[in-house]
This record gives sequence, C-alpha cells and structure tokens, in this order.
Amino acid sequence: MTETDPSRRRRTIALSIFLLVQVVAVVFFVGDVVGDLRENPGSTHFIFEALVTAALAVGVFLGARALNETLAVMRAQETALAAASGALSQVIADQFYDWGLTPAERDVGMLALKGLDVAEISDLRGAAPGTVRAQLTRIYAKAGVSGRAQFAAFFVEDLLGAALPEMRPG
Amino acid sequence: MTTPPSVKPVSLWDPVVRLTHWSIAVIVLMNALLTEGGGQIHVWVGWIGMAILVLRLLWGLIGPAEARFSAFPPNPRAAISHLATLVAGRPRDYPSHNPAGALMAYALWATLAALMMTGLVMTGGATPMQIDDQRAAVALGDWSVLVKESDDEDSHKPGPWKKTAKEVHEVAGNLILFLVALHIAGVVLESRAMRRNLVKPMLLGAAKSKVRK
Repeated sequence: MTETDPSRRRRTIALSIFLLVQVVAVVFFVGDVVGDLRENPGSTHFIFEALVTAALAVGVFLGARALNETLAVMRAQETALAAASGALSQVIADQFYDWGLTPAERDVGMLALKGLDVAEISDLRGAAPGTVRAQLTRIYAKAGVSGRAQFAAFFVEDLLGAALPEMRPG
Repeated sequence: MTTPPSVKPVSLWDPVVRLTHWSIAVIVLMNALLTEGGGQIHVWVGWIGMAILVLRLLWGLIGPAEARFSAFPPNPRAAISHLATLVAGRPRDYPSHNPAGALMAYALWATLAALMMTGLVMTGGATPMQIDDQRAAVALGDWSVLVKESDDEDSHKPGPWKKTAKEVHEVAGNLILFLVALHIAGVVLESRAMRRNLVKPMLLGAAKSKVRK
C-alpha cells in the first residue's frame, strides 16, 4: 500500500551512484591540486584547477543536499498515503456505525469491500454461506443500496469527493 | 533528539548508505586479499575507497535522520548494555544503528581512515595518476622525474615516518579484516535474536512488505 513509486526509487539510486562518482572525481582532483600546490602554486594551471575542484566540491555538497531532500519528499508521501488509507477506513467505520450495522455485519461488510466473495467470507468467518448472504442482504438494505457494486461505489464516491476528513498524521 | 515514542527500526537504508556500505566492503576485500600491496591497482582502489569514506562521512552530516551521526552517537556504555540484552534475550529496536553496531561503524571508519592516511604517507601523497605518469616516464628512460624525490631526505632509505606508516598500515590492514569478521558475526547474532533479517534493509529492503506501518 505505502510503497514508493519504483521509478522514483530507482532515480534516487541512480543519483546516489552519480554522487559517488562525483566524490571520487573530487578526491582525485584534490589530490592533484595538493600535488600542484607543493610544486608550483603560482601557476595559472594550479589556480584554474583549484577553482574547478572547488566548484566540483560545492556541486557535490549541493547534490547531496538535493538528494536528501528528494528522499525526505518520498518519505513524506509514503506517510501521507498511509494517513489517507487510514482516513478512508475511518470514514467506512463511521458510515457503518451510522447505518446501524451489527458488529458481525460490519466485519462482513468490510470483507465484502475488500473484494471477497460469499464463499471466501463464509470460509474466513466459519459461517454458512447462507448466513453471509443474509447478512450482506441486510447490509445493503440498511445502506439503501441495490447490491455489492453500489455498496462499493458508495465509498469510492466518498474518496473522490470532498468528504475525506482532515488527514490524520501517522 | 526527536525519537518517536514507539521506535521503528530502519526498514530500508537510503541509497547512499547502501551504496557506500557495499562498495567499501568490496574495496576492503580487494585491497586486503586480492591486490598486491603497494601496487598500482592497490593505490587506485585505495583512493576510490577514500572518496567513498568521504561521501559517507558527508552523509553523516547532511543525510537523512537515520544516516546522521547524531542518530547513533558513540556510546560504549550503551553498547555494552545492548550486548547484555542480546545475551539475555530479545534486544529492543533502535531508530538507527544499535549502540554496538554504531561503535562498530566508528571503529571501521577510524581503521579505514588510518589505512588511507598511512597509505598516503607511504606513497608521498601522490595520486594514482601521478604515480602512473612517473612510471610511464621512467619506462621511457626519463629518470629525471625521480630526481625531485631524491632531493627529499627519504628517497633511498625510507624515513622514520614512512616506516612507521608502513607498520601502522599493515596492522590496520589486519585489524580491518578482524573488524569485518566481527561485524558479520554481530549481524548474524543480532538477526537471530531480533528474529528479523538485518541484511535486507542494507540490500534492497523488504520490497513487497509495507514500509513502516
């Protein structure tokens, strides 16, 4: 559910590899600059190389900062997604309560929303298929919907509309 | 510190931590076991290792929370009490490295730094490119590139600095292999005690499972 987009994850890995290559370059250049510094520090060659190396080092630093920010954004999105799915199940629970579903009906209704069919629900609950079918009928009646499709659509509509409550953190 | 009340362990280390971890592992094994000490490849690999260490240390300052030094300060007392809980039964979770693992990380970094510093002293701080250039020039019969070195007091007989550096380099080379073995043993023991695979977050993470509940 809360998994990050794989392409983004791949991009951060590619960025990390790029960062590592840059750092390797910086370290080699710094070694070279130090070597030049000991030989002829006044030469234009040295000055230019030192400037390039300094720029590269700053680039690495900024690149690392940017990568860290990307990782933080990805993490925040994961949390937001978790909060949203948490909020949706809260909406469903509240609605079930409003309809006056019994605890058993709430369980069956939740399983039905998750896409399980009558046989699977009866297996899971150790109940006869007839019982589950009867419970589903009562749920649909209390909810005022025609059947399973409309029952599920009821919550999708909630999700699409503005009925989502404020996102709860965590 | 902003540790949440219920501490969740790291389910997947960030890519920089993973990349530096495994590349430094390869580099340690290469230079300890495969490359010829003092050889061209040995020096090249050592310099790349230096860059990796620099990146990891930089990441310890500006990386994500669990990769920062502040998330796992060196604390020998906490490390010992952590090891005690490890022996006693199930140790608790930490948001970053556990205190014993943290000490291991610092020990490995210190040993790597010692290896790199002494390696630099032994090669006179020359970059692999400079060494290659010198070798190429000498191969062409131009010995003059070595003259400058002869001016240094320590070209024929290694000076006391180089000698000490060589000894420290060798001791540190053995020490790091010992630390690596200890590190692996620690991860195995810890994974058993926690009933949780500690290698996975360092590799690809639990890709299919939910990231943090």
